[in-house]
Amino acid sequence: LSSVSLGVEGMTCGSCVQSIEQRIGTLPGVIHIKVSLEQKNATVLFDQSHQSPESLSEAIEEMGFESSLSV
Amino acid sequence: MDLRLPAKNTFTGVFEFKKHEFEVAMTCEGCSGAVTRILNKLGDVKFEIDLPNKLVWIESDKDVDFLTETLKKCGKDVKYNGTK
Ligand SMILES: [Cu+2]
Ligand SMILES: [Cu+2]
Repeated sequence: LSSVSLGVEGMTCGSCVQSIEQRIGTLPGVIHIKVSLEQKNATVLFDQSHQSPESLSEAIEEMGFESSLSV
Repeated sequence: MDLRLPAKNTFTGVFEFKKHEFEVAMTCEGCSGAVTRILNKLGDVKFEIDLPNKLVWIESDKDVDFLTETLKKCGKDVKYNGTK
């Protein structure tokens, strides 16, 4: 397993946090996700055989938020 | 001086697409911002968002199923209300 912290821009409240945690949290290979509104980031524990920092960041972008690999 | 437009210019107007109305369960500026970014990525759509009424109007040649799936990417419930 591997852990990554991704930058997330565009969230304004707890419901934004929730929708990202819900959607990304159910992707294959995602073990755990914690999104912080204050720190504008997402910390994800994942299985490298299914996900990568790039694929996770891409998935957040797909949802309409801006995501960066370097926090 | 002849000011008549050449005939070939007659049909260069913007194509009119139907305006589709969708209800998207947006609750905050984060949601409407996400919907905006998602739709902007499509490139060829004109749209308006009414956050208080949770409505999104889209003018596009894309079909309703495609637009519905696209809107669903934001993680919110999406309902199609028809054309306006
Ligand atoms: Cu929000
Ligand atoms: Cu929201």
